[in-house]
Amino acid sequence: MLLRILKPGLLSTIQDLGRMQHLAEAVPVSGAMDQVSCRVANIVLGNPENSAVIEFTYHGAELYAETDLLIAFSGDGAVLSVAGEELPSDRPLFLPANTHFSLIPGIGCRSYLAVAGGWNVPVILGSASTYLMASFGGLDGRTLKENDVITSSEVLGTLSKRILDNFISTEVNYPHWAASRAAFLPSLKKVVRVIPGREFTWFGAESLLAFLSDSFRVNVRSDRMAFQLEGPLIIRSKQQELISTAVAPGTIQVTGDGKLMLLMADSQTTGGYPRIAQVAAVDLPICAQLKPGDDIFFEDISRKEAEKLYLKQEQNFRELKATIANKFG
Amino acid sequence: MQLMPLKSKSFTIYYLSEKAITLEFGNQIEEKTSIRISQFHSKLKEFPFEGLLAVVPAYTTLSVFYDPLLVINSKRLSGLDCFERISNYLTELESREDRSMASESDLISIPVYYGGDKGPDLQAVADHTRLSREEIIRLHSSAAYKVYMIGFTPGFAYLGGMPEQLATPRKTTPAKTVPAGSIGIAGIQTGIYPLSSPGGWQIIGQTPIKLFDVNRAKPALVKAGDIIKFSSIDLEEFNQLKQS
Repeated sequence: MLLRILKPGLLSTIQDLGRMQHLAEAVPVSGAMDQVSCRVANIVLGNPENSAVIEFTYHGAELYAETDLLIAFSGDGAVLSVAGEELPSDRPLFLPANTHFSLIPGIGCRSYLAVAGGWNVPVILGSASTYLMASFGGLDGRTLKENDVITSSEVLGTLSKRILDNFISTEVNYPHWAASRAAFLPSLKKVVRVIPGREFTWFGAESLLAFLSDSFRVNVRSDRMAFQLEGPLIIRSKQQELISTAVAPGTIQVTGDGKLMLLMADSQTTGGYPRIAQVAAVDLPICAQLKPGDDIFFEDISRKEAEKLYLKQEQNFRELKATIANKFG
Repeated sequence: MQLMPLKSKSFTIYYLSEKAITLEFGNQIEEKTSIRISQFHSKLKEFPFEGLLAVVPAYTTLSVFYDPLLVINSKRLSGLDCFERISNYLTELESREDRSMASESDLISIPVYYGGDKGPDLQAVADHTRLSREEIIRLHSSAAYKVYMIGFTPGFAYLGGMPEQLATPRKTTPAKTVPAGSIGIAGIQTGIYPLSSPGGWQIIGQTPIKLFDVNRAKPALVKAGDIIKFSSIDLEEFNQLKQS
């Protein structure tokens, strides 16, 4: 299957679930910012969850099916549209060759386009993810641009093949069911659950209270590396310098001027700012959908609760995969 | 509310994320801490646990990244949750007798062409330190540097051991582009830019060797624990090495 990029939109890159194996060499994890949407889009096509997808930022992209396509679209950054008609998310979509489709405004920031078999790009250091700063991964280490033609892997798995046979048509075709992406996400989109970080006690009581009760606004200087958050200044009571150590996506650092920095997928692997908290892994997908100007609150939970939530989410993914396999079994 | 970190004989264990824990071996930058970190790192490499994905050494810490599903389902690990299971395993591993004290430290020689258009700030360092250009090159290339950590950008090595006489403040305005391989000085630190990027360090030379190359199985040339020595080369050697 072949897809032509007529207009790439603001920032479009190939991503998968990222690379962990080279952290000691300071190669960031990268991968889809909203991993729930990325995984759902792959699962409904019968793909391995880690297959390469396109990550779009907001709307604006225009695309063209050079051949018949079996795709899935997920995430909140945009909605797919064909000739003025909106196409639903979180399910297989069959588009016949020569279909012109576009991304129209959504309510969040990022969306994912998966294809049956996965987009075919070289695997670099164990992953298809694009890391723009070092120009590797994805499509030649860069963002997608006008007239790029990307292909899917030629070999389809048994399940993907069955799904394709089910929906192949001469016109746009899709089922009435959808995967319930909401089931993977917390109901409160403005409350981000956090686990106290190693340097939590470096901050004064008033600042800690503000951190866990006031709202914080996403600054315009926010990207795949980190989000800067505006809110009450978080003041240290302990004037010790932190010796640089490992950080991870989801780490919330407090910079020298008392501002919060939430590290995301392309974050550096080590950092020297005190870590006030770590965002629960299950809440990172809602962070990935935040736009400049959005307000969030933090609520603290224990590491045990965070792990339980994580394992429960993985259980939900196993169930979704089983459901899709049964439907087409 | 603060989580109580666990303690073993030589490290404190704390939670980093659902997928990582950190072992803290000390609270200052010291050679002996760094050696203990690389020894334990080697031990963990020799005896990995099920689900281990990556180990990241830093100045005083070793962070262990894992797949929570594999850890929680492992029959060989015991404990109620992932944090407990890995803490138990690592504490037990630490108490095991070391069969060898080997830490996988390599001595790496890095050829550098100092000065000229490859080292545009050599004169600024000379002016600040009141040393001759020759003396700077001799001092910089005679010291042995310890790699404490790889961080900041892929393959960037944090080095210890620069002769104090060479200390020079960063530039007031960062250069827009510092070419890959540039050797810089910032305060008491020296380092190599693995990728072309903007940067504020005083650039005194450049190595023709690639510090980071995604086409290698291990893309970063140096790792935490290694010892680096710089050797001065001329432009002809630089160009030859650059081509090979």
